[in-house]
Amino acid sequence: MHFNSKDIDLYVSQKDYVDTAVVPLIELDLTASGMKASAGASEYLQSLTVILEKQFKGRILLLPPISYVRAADRTELGEQLKKELSETGFKHIFYLTTDPKWRSVEELDNVLWLPAIPTGDMDQSFKKSVMEDQLRQVLPLFTKEWTHHS
Amino acid sequence: MSNNRVSRRQFLGYTLTGVGGFMAAGMLMPMVRFAVDPVLQQHDAGDYVLTDQAVADITEEPVRVDFTFEQVDAWYTSEVTNSAWVYKEGDKLIALSPVCKHLGCTVNWGGDPENPTQFFCPCHAGRYEKNGQNIAGTPPLGPLDEYQVQEQDGFVAIGAVRENTLV
Repeated sequence: MHFNSKDIDLYVSQKDYVDTAVVPLIELDLTASGMKASAGASEYLQSLTVILEKQFKGRILLLPPISYVRAADRTELGEQLKKELSETGFKHIFYLTTDPKWRSVEELDNVLWLPAIPTGDMDQSFKKSVMEDQLRQVLPLFTKEWTHHS
Repeated sequence: MSNNRVSRRQFLGYTLTGVGGFMAAGMLMPMVRFAVDPVLQQHDAGDYVLTDQAVADITEEPVRVDFTFEQVDAWYTSEVTNSAWVYKEGDKLIALSPVCKHLGCTVNWGGDPENPTQFFCPCHAGRYEKNGQNIAGTPPLGPLDEYQVQEQDGFVAIGAVRENTLV
């Protein structure tokens, strides 16, 4: 489900079934040299989370992307996110990011790090097949988590 | 000059009736036009979206067929890709919506190794028969929706979604 008022109404009434939160983490790099790569990574991650949401609409709540500047303290941000989410009823929380700095952050479990693929210059059908390949890599991680801890 | 002269009273009567009639017509015509508008709108074959799936390649085994159409959401136009599970029943094409009737996940044909001839929803293990009938004891409460489907120049064309007519 998306983080909009219509889906949240449904979420509130079906809380038992929607037990997984997906949090995209996006680094904002606004320097002249890094801006394009940062935008591409953000585009990639958002497309991926949208098709992931389409596949698992009834079980995941896709939160809006958490964006932070390059200098942000990942450890502190991780702790804050973890605390906020621990007060909800979610049994499983996945963080999706293309930012390699999260790999060394121990606070968060289930951080799925994906190398960003610049999809911006691809034509529609090629982009779609690339994104579906990416989705196929991510799906088993979700189903595995669900079957192991349910 | 004719003999029956028009009196001042008659003249005013005609004039007022005429002007009043125009005003009434001016108000009523748009209302009538609005009222009958839905009847006059044209529905043509453009409601069907052509896919690149050849009808000849469709068997009795459901395959996923993607189709793309433009969706306008307020001021934002986007290309939406949906898919359908298409198979042949005899010579008849059948297209089922992949949207689970429970909470809207996407179902897969044979997604559950234990039930290879059923649709499977990975979210909460909902299952459906090949014709879309939901299997009792799994979370979904109704059968999968069905798409209107037709053949156009040898390819599958998918139309509007409707309630399942096979079950």
